[in-house]
Amino acid sequence: MTPIDGSKVTAALIAVANVIEANKDYLCALDSDVGDGDHGVSMTIGMRTARKALQALQHPTPETAFRTVAEAFADEVGAASGALYEGAFEAAARASAGKATLDTAADWAAIYEAMAHEMQVVGKAELGDKTLLDAWLPAAQALREAADAGASLSEGLSRATAAALAGVENTKHLIPKRGRASRLGERARGYQDAGATSAWLIIKTIEESLS
Amino acid sequence: MKKLINDPFDFVEEMLEGFCAAHDDLIKRVGRRAIARVDAPIPGKVGVVVGGGSGHLPLYTAFVGKGGADAAPAGNIFASPPAKPILEATRAANGGAGVVYFYGNYAGDVLNFDRAAAMAEAEGIRVATVLGTDDVASAPPGEAHHRRGIAGAFLVVKALCAKAETMADFDAVVATARKANANTRTMGVALTACTVPANGKPTFSIGDDEMEVGLGVHGEPGVRRAKLAPVDAIVDELVETILADLDFTGSDVAVLVNGLGATPYEELYVMYRRVKQILDARRITIRRKYVGEYATSLEMAGASVSLMRLDAELHDLLAMPMHTPMIRQF
Repeated sequence: MTPIDGSKVTAALIAVANVIEANKDYLCALDSDVGDGDHGVSMTIGMRTARKALQALQHPTPETAFRTVAEAFADEVGAASGALYEGAFEAAARASAGKATLDTAADWAAIYEAMAHEMQVVGKAELGDKTLLDAWLPAAQALREAADAGASLSEGLSRATAAALAGVENTKHLIPKRGRASRLGERARGYQDAGATSAWLIIKTIEESLS
Repeated sequence: MKKLINDPFDFVEEMLEGFCAAHDDLIKRVGRRAIARVDAPIPGKVGVVVGGGSGHLPLYTAFVGKGGADAAPAGNIFASPPAKPILEATRAANGGAGVVYFYGNYAGDVLNFDRAAAMAEAEGIRVATVLGTDDVASAPPGEAHHRRGIAGAFLVVKALCAKAETMADFDAVVATARKANANTRTMGVALTACTVPANGKPTFSIGDDEMEVGLGVHGEPGVRRAKLAPVDAIVDELVETILADLDFTGSDVAVLVNGLGATPYEELYVMYRRVKQILDARRITIRRKYVGEYATSLEMAGASVSLMRLDAELHDLLAMPMHTPMIRQF
């Protein structure tokens, strides 16, 4: 595998932006069932802004690439998802500070753990609250376990994607505890969480871009 | 989608540009996504910052002005503003006596306003937060702190801003705002959905003969889907739900009949007529009345009824003058 330097990380994040924008209507439709139908819009606004800034980066490091996305969410998005992803990508930037490349499963486990932890702190949510954490937390855990077991990066990222997808599926059985959907209680059971779905799309696209 | 727009992703930016230009005698732009009254900050006055997602005009940016709020950040459509414009609004509102935040109780708004408050306090600006929780449909009475804020916000903001205008001190302004919110209840009904421009599709689907009772102002599902009924029956349900939630017996009240954007004023007056009949029969005295569009949801059809239980202070604060871009009271 060729080294995953700042340019590769930048390309992966641009791929994420493309996938999120391509899935805008799907994410809005999921959010319309129980929320206010704008999750795809908020994520697309953030990632469109991020893509523009990422494409303009000169000699990016992994740290500056992640921070560029954090700044896009900080400036343009708002909403819960804006604050959560600003924090998450800033945490990813800190976790990759000083590293020229991110070549191992352990490198990415540290990044995903930092992102999931930051979103937990900012959002004050837990696993099972029917939020994006239901994809991010299992993905980070699966990647950490793979890294500890000596798995390759592509194997680790693949397990993270699978864990995220299982987490998304599981949200259909949950009652929301946070966000606008939380006021619906039982009426929201049966619906797949939009935030967990966009999280899975991010995790899956990073895997496909790096593997 | 059939709207007078350009690129949907430019909609909020272009709306703000026009809004600020049209009302430059009353407000000024502060940074990219916030506005302030022209004379802000006012030295020694407690600043008031209100805000939230765009798509609800006059709420919140048109609540800024004389007798109104000092500044307001504007988010994307139905989405909380980020912390940065909230902080810019806070600085613009700070006349040295502290700043009070008022906004609807939504997860995204709480996240971003709390972050802005922490940043403002790091700069030495004292901040207190009062959350709008008037929507009785959104949580049972015992869980009032989980309720969301909807059109009753206008009544609370009116009282809060008038109190600040009297040059009352920080604690007194906060106490009045909390009292105003605690005495305000709203219940609404929606007849049609609305379309967020960058989404392009209606936020929910509803039959031609249906209504959603207790619907949220962003198209969040309400408490009950039902066949459309005559308006008197609808108003009866809205008002009875409010009266069952808070004891208005023998009280003086302010009434707000609020249109959601596509419902004509004529229908709102039919509703107000019924509200008055119910309150008269119960010997609840209407002292202040507002009928019109104060908190809309783009082009959604529907309306809400808000009641605020008044004491002498709240009555006098609501009666004070207000001159903002879309609201003028003498």
